Amino acid sequence: MISRKEFLKQASLFSAGSFLIGPIAGLNSKSDISPAVTILYTNDTHARLDPFPSNAREFAGLGGIAQRASLVKKIRSQNKNVLLLDAGDVFQGTPWFDVYGGSVDLKLMTEMNYDAMTIGNHEFDRGPDGFAEAARKAGFPILASNYFVRETPLNPFVQRQLVREIDGFRIGIFGLGIRLQGVVDRGLYGDVRYFDPIQVSQRMVQSLRIHNHCDYVICLSHLGYSYNDDKIDDLKLAKQVEGIDLIIGGHTHTFLDAPVSVENSSGSKTVITQMGHSGIRLGRVDVSLSDSSETPEIYSRYYTVGRQE
Amino acid sequence: MRFFPVLLFALLFTGCTMFSTTAAEEEPELDYPNPDSEISRLLDGYRPFLYREMGRPVAVAKDTLRFNKPESTLGNIVSDALRIRGANELGRQVHIGVIGDSSFRLFFKPGPITVGDIYEFMPYENNLVILTLTGEKIIELVQQNASLGGAPISGVRYTITPEGTARGILVNAEVVDPERHYRVATTSWAANGGDLFPALWEPVERKDLEISVRHIYVDYFGSLKEIYDVTDGRIRR
Repeated sequence: MISRKEFLKQASLFSAGSFLIGPIAGLNSKSDISPAVTILYTNDTHARLDPFPSNAREFAGLGGIAQRASLVKKIRSQNKNVLLLDAGDVFQGTPWFDVYGGSVDLKLMTEMNYDAMTIGNHEFDRGPDGFAEAARKAGFPILASNYFVRETPLNPFVQRQLVREIDGFRIGIFGLGIRLQGVVDRGLYGDVRYFDPIQVSQRMVQSLRIHNHCDYVICLSHLGYSYNDDKIDDLKLAKQVEGIDLIIGGHTHTFLDAPVSVENSSGSKTVITQMGHSGIRLGRVDVSLSDSSETPEIYSRYYTVGRQE
Repeated sequence: MRFFPVLLFALLFTGCTMFSTTAAEEEPELDYPNPDSEISRLLDGYRPFLYREMGRPVAVAKDTLRFNKPESTLGNIVSDALRIRGANELGRQVHIGVIGDSSFRLFFKPGPITVGDIYEFMPYENNLVILTLTGEKIIELVQQNASLGGAPISGVRYTITPEGTARGILVNAEVVDPERHYRVATTSWAANGGDLFPALWEPVERKDLEISVRHIYVDYFGSLKEIYDVTDGRIRR
């Protein structure tokens, strides 16, 4: 008979969840091609370079950047067009951060060919200078559309948006950071200025869809999934801004087993997803545009990284 | 932001629900928990310096040390450390130490405990805060503690009734005077509204000390040297 421990072990290996969403209405309609893009993503990895140790109160054996890297490599070997994204808070959480200040994380994410990340509040834990020093190791853009960083050492590393063309299918990506006041010590964010995510997103969508002819728009958000008060979150963002296809969220460490689809006033839909924290899960969204449909279809799933102890 | 373990493993293990027609292509992969050799090699290159910084042993766990209810070795240690350090810093009595146990990430197996272990045990950068509260608020604080089935608290003794309320509350071995003022050592996180102890939120006075709670634990574990799984009956049922 299979022991409980053995069962748990096997279960964690088989714990890929999956959901089909779609078709998702986009604002654009074009293309006679049938591209397939695989979006892989993490959020709030919090310096979890090694798996949780065996004496962790929760998640023992799960996570680990080398484990995540082998999974990403496997998926890349099976899929030509892969985007790898992160929704912020790479910093803080294990002694790796205390010793290296996030530079090892960004270096290894570069080795794994991450395409972009956004800025989480913990990225400021060592101030703009500490962040900038680590960011020199990042060989990918850090997207923060609603932070004004020109007066700070972050300026060379941060950009507002990114456009990737994959087999003629244009994907626009932008990033949103949380209001820093009250979340990060005043002295740590320095001259970084925060702007309203709704207004910024409307401008980003317009820029990406109209001026950059994007077929698909992704928002990397560190706003948080849902709050009970007026504070802006991914659900409110999706409701109020049309034209975002996918929000990859973070900050609230929410494990969404299935992505959530939100319809906004114009009838277009935005899909929201978030993968908990610490790299325990790697999220995956496959986007395709079939010949019969003019709107992208997505297929969503996640993988549990590591081995449950 | 704190960790909200919304994840239910029970769900996860049955999380292969297929809503799709592409079932044939579905993972599971059997080999992805294995680390990538290239990333592992790079990571290993950074380990010697990590361990040089973080590998210093501070204490030895002689037993397995855990958080438990109503009280536990680790719960007592983490709250005692705040109260004792607070008193040392102020040079006067601090009556109570309190902290929520959700901030703590590890338990300890028998063996050495290093600086790195303490940093991972308490991964957050919070500072020590001393609050002055009325006796009335102290009683409220202990009742909240009891409603959790017991939580880390120092300087207080009480019994949880079968109904889940606290009775026989003693602070410094005395019955609490609702009119009197008491000093409570806690973290900036709890004082700012984390940990969900509302009794802490409207203090008579608040004093923020620029002392990292993680450093307090490094020092306090160090002072204990050898740690056994022993509790003192401060919270009884």
